[in-house]
Amino acid sequence: MNQNIEIIVDGQTYEAEENSLLIDLLIKHEIKVPYFCYHESLGADGNCRMCMVEIVGQKRPQIACDTLIKPGMEVHSKGEKIDTVRTNILELELINHPVDCPTCDQAGECSLQDFYMDYGLHTSKINVQEKVTHAKHVDLGANVMLDQERCVLCARCTRFTDKITHSHELGIIGRGDDARVSTMPGRPLSNPYAMNVVDLCPVGALTSKDFRFHQRVWFLKSAEAICQGCSTGCNIYIDHNKPKYRDDTVYRFRPRRNDAVNGFFICDDGRLSYKALEENRQRQTLLEGQEIETDAACSHLKALVQQHQGNITVIIDANLYTEEITALLVYAETIKAEVTAPLEFYNDANFEDDLLKSAQCAANYQSVLDLNLSTQAPDKKGLIINFNYPEQFHADTVVSFNTHQGAQASLIFPIASYSENSGTLTNKDGLEQFSKKAVTKNSPSPTILEWLERLKQ
Amino acid sequence: MMRTCQIVSQKFAIEDAHTLSIAQEHGAYDTLAKCQEFTPLEMIQIIKESGLRGKGGGGAPAGAKWALMPQDSEQSSVLVVNCDESEPGTFKDRQIITKDPHLLIEGILLTCYAIKAQDAYVYIRGEYFQFQKVLQRAIDEAEEAGFLKNINITLHRGAGAYICGEKSALLESLEGKRGHPRLKPKQPEPEWYFGQPTLVNNVETIASVPFIIQNGAEAYRAFGTEKSPGTLLFAMSGHVQNPGVYEAEFGVSMMDYINHYGGGIKNGKALKAVIPGGASTGVITAKEAEEVTLDYEALRSMGSALGTGGMIVMDESTCMVSVLKNLLEFYHEESCGQCTPCREGTGWANTLLGKILNKRGSSADINQLLEIADTMNGKTICVFAPAVSSVIVSFLTGFRDEFEVMV
Repeated sequence: MNQNIEIIVDGQTYEAEENSLLIDLLIKHEIKVPYFCYHESLGADGNCRMCMVEIVGQKRPQIACDTLIKPGMEVHSKGEKIDTVRTNILELELINHPVDCPTCDQAGECSLQDFYMDYGLHTSKINVQEKVTHAKHVDLGANVMLDQERCVLCARCTRFTDKITHSHELGIIGRGDDARVSTMPGRPLSNPYAMNVVDLCPVGALTSKDFRFHQRVWFLKSAEAICQGCSTGCNIYIDHNKPKYRDDTVYRFRPRRNDAVNGFFICDDGRLSYKALEENRQRQTLLEGQEIETDAACSHLKALVQQHQGNITVIIDANLYTEEITALLVYAETIKAEVTAPLEFYNDANFEDDLLKSAQCAANYQSVLDLNLSTQAPDKKGLIINFNYPEQFHADTVVSFNTHQGAQASLIFPIASYSENSGTLTNKDGLEQFSKKAVTKNSPSPTILEWLERLKQ
Repeated sequence: MMRTCQIVSQKFAIEDAHTLSIAQEHGAYDTLAKCQEFTPLEMIQIIKESGLRGKGGGGAPAGAKWALMPQDSEQSSVLVVNCDESEPGTFKDRQIITKDPHLLIEGILLTCYAIKAQDAYVYIRGEYFQFQKVLQRAIDEAEEAGFLKNINITLHRGAGAYICGEKSALLESLEGKRGHPRLKPKQPEPEWYFGQPTLVNNVETIASVPFIIQNGAEAYRAFGTEKSPGTLLFAMSGHVQNPGVYEAEFGVSMMDYINHYGGGIKNGKALKAVIPGGASTGVITAKEAEEVTLDYEALRSMGSALGTGGMIVMDESTCMVSVLKNLLEFYHEESCGQCTPCREGTGWANTLLGKILNKRGSSADINQLLEIADTMNGKTICVFAPAVSSVIVSFLTGFRDEFEVMV
């Protein structure tokens, strides 16, 4: 077991594990160090040479990503000498870069741009005509587009397919400044986690076909949320924006680091599940297909409850937040209804893999199990009040609270989706996680809790 | 006076010495019996005492490298012979594998005995197709004659990348991956081939082993200097009367060597410059060449390096800007592209020099070349970029006026 020791960085003492990587310490303590190729999930590769630091006693600057912390080590992470080295290497990094930031989707979240502002700010010494040119629009497959000219050859993407997915689709071909990322002919990028290479790419070489050219990233606001694709509960950012004259819209999901759950990544199914959020939304309150006032709808439901006393089933969807499920249990008790939370629809053994995907395809699956709710199909056929469970059941009267269209019910209430609402979810390992509200629509649908308040009146 | 030494080249002049029968007539494989007198550790000790230095260019002590090999490892050890001779100006290893391949095989067997290896790979330059056939035939002959009962020798052809001569890139290539140099280990340790401890040595280093085992460390030390003992297959190309490979001991004067074996400069012209040990060593001027001796220390003190001992001799008619351009084109083509300074620096330097050569450059471009060289020096995984850097700097130090008149 390695001991904790003290080292000095820029005159300050830090505690670190002996033989751990210096760059990890710098990152942890937010000591500014530029780097492209290092990534905590992929380890050191040492090819970009940007993370140069000065180590007292060593003749030459060393890369922090390949330096092990030793007792008594003294490091200078800044200063004229180091800044010059970084500036010179960055200049080489940019020498064949097309500098097409105005049309590049990465602009605003690009390491190359950031480092240029920190260490560059030089005028280009090479004519545009003299730059090495490569392919600018390569469709790698799996929604990933490659611009070989923008690439800094950090090899994060190729190492991802080698070390994480073990699918080996990406490689670097060619030597010297002719080197470029590529796939083999007839073997496109195709694995369930492929789009993570877009996040890994520090520059605009790999962009998402799904997201590119839809929004400038500096307009996006991010909410810390939980993916609802399955019960793994991957942490995500919901990136959304309300462009002028338009409604607040989700543009993409991005993985949010949580070492206890998903590490740095999410699956492509989860990443693209934001699309279904916006499509076919239930926005109107409907009685037998006709729009009615919400007050009238509430009165109608109350009357139905009176009418079917003792013959009511409340169906709870396993994607609802724990707060909502708890409130619904109280509501069901008030109206003396039976409660069931069917799970059958959410079991999908084909979805499961040994990375992140779980066979339990509902976000709060574990809560339903923890609360010992019945998961049987409803047996009372008087009144069914279905809170967003996607399967349809037959009864004398069906009332449905839905985020999306498609329910067969005589009375339908629209509810807020998870991106428009916040709450707690319990993942398959029993970890409780809070998902924050991201989107505020121009005319928002009430949440379940809000509807229940109204039904009390 | 030049002393004749034939440690590696003893059978070069004998006709058909590449065949087993002729080679055996002249003593091939005699040391196999002799080495049984020693334990593996004693063998390593002999090599250490002989002061044998790696002959692939670096000149690191071979014995120390051998001593890193574990003697009681669960994983069996591997010997890899580096025959990826791609350094411009260097053509000594091919003499060994075509003229006396059994010497190499004998050396491999002795080395494998010392490091307890059962598998040996010879990584041979892809372009050496004809020479590879000779070596393969010799391996087959040795196999038939029963010399390879305990050891498998596999010949592996490279695919033409210069960088695969760097030992860790060579191992990556041998493992079937892209030839990219590996990050250096933090403490002295052997190389690794598929997780097996591995020794990588140059052809000539291994071919020197039989002599040392046969005659002892002192006999080897009788040649050369204190710090650079033994001999090297020095080679000459360029503007000399008799270009070729001639074995000589370390420490002889460069001019003596060029005059004695090379017959002096071609057509009676004056010497202008020498690239002393393969393209990656800094060029030295005629004046420096007059003073220098052929050993690691003397050339290092001149800011150059002995490298592989493959001298490129240039007479007074040579345009040094064109020579550098030629070299930079090579480096631009051959940089593996892993580290940023090398990947982008070689290309940019080549472009800049192209401008200068076409009389479209400025003195700022010359300074820029030096700046690029500075960024390339000591900031990469392997020594490719520092070598290019030293080449650029040496040309601009020794012959700056030739560059100045072009801008």
